[in-house]
Amino acid sequence: MRSSALVIWLFVLSAAVGLAQGDRGRVQLRDLNGRPMTPFTPISRASAVFFVATDCPVSNSYAPEIQRVCRDYGPRGVECSLVYEDVDTHPSAAHLDQLVRTHLQEYGYAGFTAIVDRDRTAAAHVKASITPQVFVIDRSGEIRYRGRIDNLYAALGKTRQQVTSHDLRDALNAVLAGGSVPHPETEALGCFITDPALLRKHDHE
Amino acid sequence: MSNRRLLCLFVSALVLTPLVGHSQSPRTPTTKQATTARVTFADTIAPIVYANCVTCHRPGEAAPFALISYEDVAKRGALIAKVTESRYMPPWHAEPGYGDFVGERRLTDAQIATIAAWVTQGMPRGDEARMPKVPEFPADGWRLGQPDLILEMPIAFDVPASGPDVFRNFVIPTKLTEDKWVKGIEFRPSARKVVHHALFAQVPGGSRANVDGVDGRPGFGGLSAVGFMDRTDPGLGGWVPGAQPAMFTEGIVSRLPKGSDFLLQVHFHPSGKAEFEKSLIGIYFAENGGQKDLASVQLPAVFGLGAGIDIPPGEKQFTIQDSFTLPGDARVYNAFAHAHYLAKQMKAEATLPDGSTRPLLWIRDWDFNWQDGYSYRKPFILPRGTRIDVTLTYDNSSENPRNPISPPRRAIFGEQSLDEMGTIGFEVEIVNKAEVDAFHAALVSRNKIATDTAGKNGTLGRLLARGLRRNMQQLTIFDRQGNAVTRLGEVGSYSQPAFSPDGSRIAVVKNDPDTDGRDIWAFDIATGKGTAITSDAPQDSAPIWSPDGAYIAYVSDRENANAIVRRASNGSGDEEIIYKQSTGGQMILTDWSADGRFICFWSGETMFVLPLNEDRKPIELGRERGGRFSPDGRLLAFNSNRSGPFQVYVKSLEESTRAASAATPAPPGSQVSDGPSVGGIFWRRDGKELFYLSVQGGQGMMAVDIVGTAPFQTSSPKMLFKLPTPVLAPAQLSNVASPDGQRFIFAVNVTPRKPAQ
Repeated sequence: MRSSALVIWLFVLSAAVGLAQGDRGRVQLRDLNGRPMTPFTPISRASAVFFVATDCPVSNSYAPEIQRVCRDYGPRGVECSLVYEDVDTHPSAAHLDQLVRTHLQEYGYAGFTAIVDRDRTAAAHVKASITPQVFVIDRSGEIRYRGRIDNLYAALGKTRQQVTSHDLRDALNAVLAGGSVPHPETEALGCFITDPALLRKHDHE
Repeated sequence: MSNRRLLCLFVSALVLTPLVGHSQSPRTPTTKQATTARVTFADTIAPIVYANCVTCHRPGEAAPFALISYEDVAKRGALIAKVTESRYMPPWHAEPGYGDFVGERRLTDAQIATIAAWVTQGMPRGDEARMPKVPEFPADGWRLGQPDLILEMPIAFDVPASGPDVFRNFVIPTKLTEDKWVKGIEFRPSARKVVHHALFAQVPGGSRANVDGVDGRPGFGGLSAVGFMDRTDPGLGGWVPGAQPAMFTEGIVSRLPKGSDFLLQVHFHPSGKAEFEKSLIGIYFAENGGQKDLASVQLPAVFGLGAGIDIPPGEKQFTIQDSFTLPGDARVYNAFAHAHYLAKQMKAEATLPDGSTRPLLWIRDWDFNWQDGYSYRKPFILPRGTRIDVTLTYDNSSENPRNPISPPRRAIFGEQSLDEMGTIGFEVEIVNKAEVDAFHAALVSRNKIATDTAGKNGTLGRLLARGLRRNMQQLTIFDRQGNAVTRLGEVGSYSQPAFSPDGSRIAVVKNDPDTDGRDIWAFDIATGKGTAITSDAPQDSAPIWSPDGAYIAYVSDRENANAIVRRASNGSGDEEIIYKQSTGGQMILTDWSADGRFICFWSGETMFVLPLNEDRKPIELGRERGGRFSPDGRLLAFNSNRSGPFQVYVKSLEESTRAASAATPAPPGSQVSDGPSVGGIFWRRDGKELFYLSVQGGQGMMAVDIVGTAPFQTSSPKMLFKLPTPVLAPAQLSNVASPDGQRFIFAVNVTPRKPAQ
C-alpha cells in the first residue's frame, strides 16, 4: 500500500523496531522533571497512558474527560500518564517543555504525570498513531486496551449528540474486575502523530 | 453582494475541530488524478493553503492552529490530505452545481489530488525563494469602519471546558430613540476558539427580561429565541468564523425598531479549556428603508409548521416536500436552510415556465452546526409561474450519529432541540410593482394554510399548551419546610415577588400576555386581593419596598431612559422620580436600606449603591449584583462570579463605599455560600440568619446562621427546601422572605389546566 501515513510510519517504525521487539518494561521514559517513568509496567493495579498533543483540538476537547476518568479510577489503583506527541519545530527542547507545562496548567491537568515524547520512543513502543489515543496496561505489563476514550466522535468532524460507548471506562472496569475487556482495540479519532524526522529531512533541501 | 444577510453561517464546527484522522487504517486519500510530477510546498501547496485555509488558520482566528509556515503544514500533512479528500476541510456544505455562492470554500479535485501527491512524495519544501507571500489580513478593529451603534454583551458568559455545545441567547438593549435601518453588522467575539457561530435578531425591548439570567448566568438557553416564532422577516443575519465582514446586499436593509433589544444567539463549542465570551457588535445604519420590495419565501412555510413533521423512531428516510409557484417575477438574492439534528438532505430546485430547471441549493449532509446562509454570486430572476420544489429528508435511526436521543424517540414539530422542523428559505425582491400585492397575498395564504393544518393535526394545540405551561405562574408562599401554605391571586405571568417589611403584603411584576406590558401589583396576603400600583405604558420592573412600607420603588423604562421611581404602596398619588439614568443597561433594584438612606441596584456587570441625598450619585461597588443591606445597615450581602460561578459574599458597606470613592480596591468580603448561588438573598429582621438561593441541581432555599459580626462568621449553609420549579430571574429578587424568616414567596410555574392544589 502506498500511503502517506505509511511513509510517516516508516520513520516511526525504523526508530522503533528494536524497542517494539524488546522487553516492554525496559523502555526509558522521563517525565517533565526528569524522573524516570515506567507507565508501561504499572506498579499499581493498572496504568492508563494517554497520547495527547498541545495543539490537537480533538485531544484538547478530551482533557476534562481524561481528568474525570483519572479522578474516578485513581483511587481504585489506576495510574494515569500523559504522553505529549507534539512536533517541536523549535530547536530548543526547553521550549517544548515549557509549552507542555503551560498546556498542563491551562487545561486543568495539575498533578498529572507528563512525558514529552520528543523522539517518539513511547509512541513507537506501543504503536500509537493518533492523539488522543489511550492504552490500558495491566500489572503484568500486558496491553489490555488500545484506542479511543469514548465514541463522542463518530467520524471526521462529526460528533455524537450523546456518547453511547464509554470504551476506556469499560476497559478499566474489566481489568480491575479481573475480567476480559469487551473490545480490546477500537479506532481512535484525532490528529496523526507525525515523526519529527520527516520535517528535519527537508530542513536543508 | 454580501454574504452576511440571512443566517450567513459557513465555517463553524469544522474550523474548531479540524484535522482529524483515524488510527487503524492510515491511508492515502484516493488519488484519482494523482500527479506524478514533483510537488513542493513553495510552488504548489502554499498557494492552495494561502487561498483556502489561512483565513481561519492563523493566529487569533477561530481555527485551533495556524497553517502558514512549511512546518505548520508539513507536520499535519497526512491529516490535511485526509480531511481535504473527505471534504471536511475547507468547510463548505452546499453541493457544487446547486447555486454559485459568495464565499464558497471548495478545493477542486485536482487540488486535492495535488495535496495527496505532495504528502506521498514526503512533503518536499521546495525553493524558499519561490514561496508566495503570506496573505495580509487587516489588524484588529472594525473592518467596516466605525459603526453607528456599538453594542456589547453586558456580562461576560462563562463557557465551560467540556460538555455538549452550548446555545445561549444574550439580550442587549439598543436604547434607540427612533426606528433605524440596518445595512450591515460586524460581530467581534472575544473568545474565538469557542465561538462557533452567532445569529442576530431584534425583539421588543424588555420582552426577554423574564428569562434573562434565569439560571444565574448571563442570557438564557434554547434554540428557538432567534429562529422561530419571532421571525417574520429574515432577521439581521449572523456570523461564522472566517467570514469577511461585509455590508448587506446593496439596497437591502433591515428595520431595527426604537427601543428594541438586540438578541444575540451564540453557539459555543467547548474546547477543553474554560473561556469567557463578551462579544461586541457594530451596527451600520442606512439613510432610509430602501426602495426594494422584499419578501422571504419559505418552503415549507413557517419552518414546516404545517408540513406534518412526525418522524417515527428508527425511520431512516422521512421525507417532506413542498412546492410554490411564484405569483410574480422574483430576483433571488439569498437562500438559507434550517432544521434540527435529524435532517439529512435539503434540496431546492426551480422549474421555469419554459420547462427548464435551475438547481437552487442542495445540502447533502445537513449538520445542525451549519445553519448556513448562502448568497448567490449573481442574483437572478425567476419569472412568474416558476415552480420551486423543496425536498427535506430526516434520519431518526440510531445509525444517525447526530440523533440527540438514544434510543431514538418519535420526533414531532417544535422549536425545542429534540423536536424537528425544517425549511429552505429564499430572500427575493418582487421585481414588478404590479405584482407586489399578489405576491405577498400568496405568501400570507401559505402561512395561513400551514397554521390551519397545524391546528387540525394537533401541532398548534400542543405548542400553545407548552408555551402556556412555560409562561404561567402562581404566587405561592412556602414555609421553611417547603410546604406551599398560601397561594395568591390568579394564575398569570408574574416575576420578582417581594414581601413588604411588615410581612403583610406582596409586591410583584405582572405581565399582560396580550400586550406584553409589565406593571407593578400589590397583593394583600390576608385577603388575597390584588391592586395595580401601575397600569401605564412604560415597562415597570424590580419592585422594592421602602422600609416603612409606605412606598414601592421600581424601575420604569421610559423614553429610552431608565428611571427609578416610587409610588405610594396603596396605589394613590403620582409617580415620583428618584433617579434617572440615560445611559447604561437596565437597572435592577434589589434593596432599600432599613434607615431609608440607600437603594442598592445592579446594571450589567456592576453593582451600585444610590444614596438618597441631594446629589443622588450612584457609588460603583464593582462586578457584583443582588446587593442586600443587613438590618443594622453595616453589611452588604451580594453575589459575585469573580471566582467562577456566582456565590454569596458579605462585606462591610462603609468600607466598600469608602474604597469606591477613594478608587482603592474594594474589600473582597467573606464567602457565605458553598456552591453556585444566585439571588434570593435575605437577612432576617433580627440579623441572626441569612437566606439565599442555590442554583445547583435546581433552585434551593438556603439558610446560614450568623454566629459573629466582627469578624463576620456564619455556620455552614443548610438547605431549607427545593423549589418545585426554577423561578425566573433569581438575580432580580428582593424580599423573598417574611421579616421573621418563616415564610418565602415565589412565582412558581404551573400548568394552567391543572392548577396546583
